[in-house]
Amino acid sequence: MIPDQLFLDRVERIKRTIAFENDRATTCYTGVATPAEHMGVKMADFVSNSDLNLDTTLAYINELNEIAPIDCLNIGAGGNKINVILTMIWLSKVKMPGRELPENSLWQIEEKKVLKDEDYDLAIEQGYDALVQKILPQVLDMGELQEFMEYAQKNGQKNAEKVIANIYPSVNSNNASPPFEILCGARSMSQFFMDCYKIPDKVKAAQDAIFPGVLENMVATTRQTNGMGSWVGGWRGASALVSPKIWDELVWPYMYKMGMTLLENGITPTFHLDQNWDRDIERFLELPEKKFILNTDSMTDLRRARKLLGEHAAFMGDVPPQLLATGTPQQVTDYVNRLLDDIGTKGVFITAGCDAPGNAKFENMAAMFKAAYEYN
Amino acid sequence: MSIAEMLANLEDEAVMAEVKKQISDGVEPMKIFEACQEGMNIVGKKFQDGEYFVSDLMMSSAIFKDVSDVIKPLLGTEGEATIGKVVLGTVEGDIHDIGKDLVHAMLSAGNFEVIDVGIDAPVDSFVNALKENPDAKVLALSCLLTTCYDSLKATVEAVKEAGLTDVKIIIGGGPVDQSVVDFSGADTYGETAQDAVFIAKELM
Repeated sequence: MIPDQLFLDRVERIKRTIAFENDRATTCYTGVATPAEHMGVKMADFVSNSDLNLDTTLAYINELNEIAPIDCLNIGAGGNKINVILTMIWLSKVKMPGRELPENSLWQIEEKKVLKDEDYDLAIEQGYDALVQKILPQVLDMGELQEFMEYAQKNGQKNAEKVIANIYPSVNSNNASPPFEILCGARSMSQFFMDCYKIPDKVKAAQDAIFPGVLENMVATTRQTNGMGSWVGGWRGASALVSPKIWDELVWPYMYKMGMTLLENGITPTFHLDQNWDRDIERFLELPEKKFILNTDSMTDLRRARKLLGEHAAFMGDVPPQLLATGTPQQVTDYVNRLLDDIGTKGVFITAGCDAPGNAKFENMAAMFKAAYEYN
Repeated sequence: MSIAEMLANLEDEAVMAEVKKQISDGVEPMKIFEACQEGMNIVGKKFQDGEYFVSDLMMSSAIFKDVSDVIKPLLGTEGEATIGKVVLGTVEGDIHDIGKDLVHAMLSAGNFEVIDVGIDAPVDSFVNALKENPDAKVLALSCLLTTCYDSLKATVEAVKEAGLTDVKIIIGGGPVDQSVVDFSGADTYGETAQDAVFIAKELM
């Protein structure tokens, strides 16, 4: 299909924002669960019916787009099962509404120690694929994975065209998880953090052993989905959560390498950073300037980050989820204005911190994008 | 190096070896336990000063729990004395346990008795726990999902409706800040597990 000129303009806007050549703050939608309540769709149906998921999400974004232009999407518009995606990222079981949870509740990660002591040795000896094959059936119904793959194969192209027809380019089409996050998810945070103190050499050996598979998978998946960019996830590896020694040895080298590998393959890395990364934010200067995005959730100090990083990295964030859920449109507008007053509009994508919550008020979402679009 | 210093340095094996040695040498168990608590206080100070991070808190809590399991049976009635009692749980609809468990560990290390009602805890479980423990003056609620703010609010309201007006309510969790205190009617919030200990001590 030949994309609309506005779609191509928006793709160009994404590129210009990353290069700090944008003329205003770029509006970027993220909110995997947000459309359901506003559009009157039960969460259980929203997450289990992939066609309904995509159509509902696009209808919701279109409603927002009538109030203020939505220049782009952070990471697609849904269209496949969230539990399969999240399980593939973290190797953790995801409890789903209408199945293990009430129909209108949000999905939740069930964090259990699935990765046994001896599985570290399996990872070290046989690598990523062997580890995934061992762990995955314990946290995901393989039939559901099969359905997921078949749906993607059958509908992937059609769904991508539907999003393009709605004139929303996506900054990212893939969500890659560093080895630290994969092992943490499969081992449970409490146990994995203990491992980082008690058996750090083994943890590092396992991370090194699975890393080639992680890199290969990251590039292949982004290419298969014809994406401009890929997330490099930073969740449990946040500076506020782990000691400098753990971060320096087990977190950053892998995130850095993932970023560089994406760039070498012509793919833009978006470092999706939950929690607070203030302590180590300057380390992102090690990556080439104006080639990547830091996607923060409001806990990292973007004002300080802008001072330290200058125009090295584009920012994507960071209206707090709690403000979108409980605040007023005026409070959201004030937040966006103050943020842009302090960090400027160049190299800035305005979006919800982390991910807009399921109970974000529509008027607050609209206020966020309107404030960003109208900011002078 | 003292037990307190070893624990503060997160030297798990050395702490356990020294604890066992001192027990066999006939050192009073309460003195050993107090040394461990002193170590945890140093950890808390380091966390407050930005020298330690959440993983360090988790490691110290694990060490403290292991040594407590060894020492507490030797303490007898002396070991039952605590600063006070806290009822703790993750609100209904939310199955997150890591933050709650860390708060539990830090409160225990801070010499509080913790009544833990678990995760996805119905409103009644908090009210019942407070009624069964009338000496519990603090209720600590964990909430990691914005979609569970209503559960948070319902729990606060139920506690007040039950006439437990002298119970102070602390809330905590990733998406919790002053705006959620205002929304839920709780008394205050803590940003970290260590905050929970400081706040509970102030409220006692």
